[in-house]
Amino acid sequence: PAAGASLRPCSTRVALDGINKPVVDRIIRVDHAGEYGANRIYAGQMAVLGRSAVGPVVQQMWNQEKDHLKKFNELMVAYRVRPTVLLPFWNVAGFVLGAGSALLGKKGAMACTVAVEESISDHYNSQIRTLIEEDPEKYKELLQIIKQFRDDEREHHDIGLEHDAE
Amino acid sequence: LLRFLSGLRCQLYPPQRALHASATLRRASDEQKKEPLASSPQQQFDLHPTDPQPDQEPQGPRSSYTGQGGQESEDYESEEQLQHRILTAALEFVPEHGWTAEAIAEGAKTLGLSVAAAGMFHSDGSELILHFVSQCNTKLSDLLEQEQKLVQLGETEKKPTDQFLRHAVEARLRMLIPYIEKWPQAVSILLLPHNIPSSLNLLTSMIDDIWHYAGDQSTDFNWYTRRAVLTGIYNTTELVMMQDSSPDFEETWRFLENRVADAMNMGNTAKQVQSTGEALAQGLMGAAVTVSNAETSKAVR
Repeated sequence: PAAGASLRPCSTRVALDGINKPVVDRIIRVDHAGEYGANRIYAGQMAVLGRSAVGPVVQQMWNQEKDHLKKFNELMVAYRVRPTVLLPFWNVAGFVLGAGSALLGKKGAMACTVAVEESISDHYNSQIRTLIEEDPEKYKELLQIIKQFRDDEREHHDIGLEHDAE
Repeated sequence: LLRFLSGLRCQLYPPQRALHASATLRRASDEQKKEPLASSPQQQFDLHPTDPQPDQEPQGPRSSYTGQGGQESEDYESEEQLQHRILTAALEFVPEHGWTAEAIAEGAKTLGLSVAAAGMFHSDGSELILHFVSQCNTKLSDLLEQEQKLVQLGETEKKPTDQFLRHAVEARLRMLIPYIEKWPQAVSILLLPHNIPSSLNLLTSMIDDIWHYAGDQSTDFNWYTRRAVLTGIYNTTELVMMQDSSPDFEETWRFLENRVADAMNMGNTAKQVQSTGEALAQGLMGAAVTVSNAETSKAVR
């Protein structure tokens, strides 16, 4: 009898039986860390470029990342995943990267966005592949979320390219 | 099939991992068996030495087509359950014999087995202790789950965090009372290097369980801070309990109450320090701006 793996009636929890816990754990932890870092990057960029012409664009992308982070916070609690121990590090590193690239000007900030979003979408894609290989039915909800976020990140990537080229 | 099994394997929780040591020994003792029926199902498991619980996987589908081998795999499964039963039976004899092979032998006797069954286990009693700890953790989880259901049905009030933590830790520690004389021995055995991975695992998942039922939803570094603090509280209270001779361990529960209160204060103090720091920073910024304005206006005059 596996303790703690039973169905919980509370809505914030998810049926933990039958899922590949280590794989899901890793996915959620990494994605959470990624969104957290992305948040901090945009925060850094806004600190420098907030009042410039490109401010509203960055703000809008930042708002979407905030939504992503919120979603992963919920998933983390539902699946009982522990957050990465490097969060304080990503807090600082993300902000520094964002602010640093923004100090190079609008092009610098956009180039940073393009690079980061490119690697995030690749990452999401490989996670989607992993989950589909495991069991697309069982992980339907999770797959939906990750696919949506992957599309959002691609959009950010394209916006970055657009503004970088101007 | 193996993929399906490995999927199942991954969802099994720490209480089962306590049987890891016995599973390893069981495989070792199997290799010594001279039976010619040491057949393929077993070999397949031996190919996965890192597999923590090969024995937990359902044998049904496999045994149906392996004939004699099927019989072997049925034995394989029930032997794991048998070890479980022996260890549970052995607990009765721990107050008298300690966490030793003697207790296991006595336990085996009550089940109608030969005392040689104790040879299946490590001579230092590790598996018996891990089995006991795992059983206690499961009991605690079940208890907290039950209480949570009552709260959800509205039959009881939700406890405030400090009371909840005190209640959970006390409930868990009370399970040691029948064995308290021999518990120091158990703790020292659990600290042996070869037991540390398992015992640490059991401890961390128990603490995580308690916080989960306490309603912890932190997704930042607090996740770690809270668990570290509670682990400290649990361990120190356990130590106090081992030398407590007051009636019904009331000294221990008082100690627990104080430690939990300290932990709550620590949280509040941290918040206060942070807001004081922020206020100070703002004050300094204001002062700097005022001074620079004064300088500018002086320069203009």
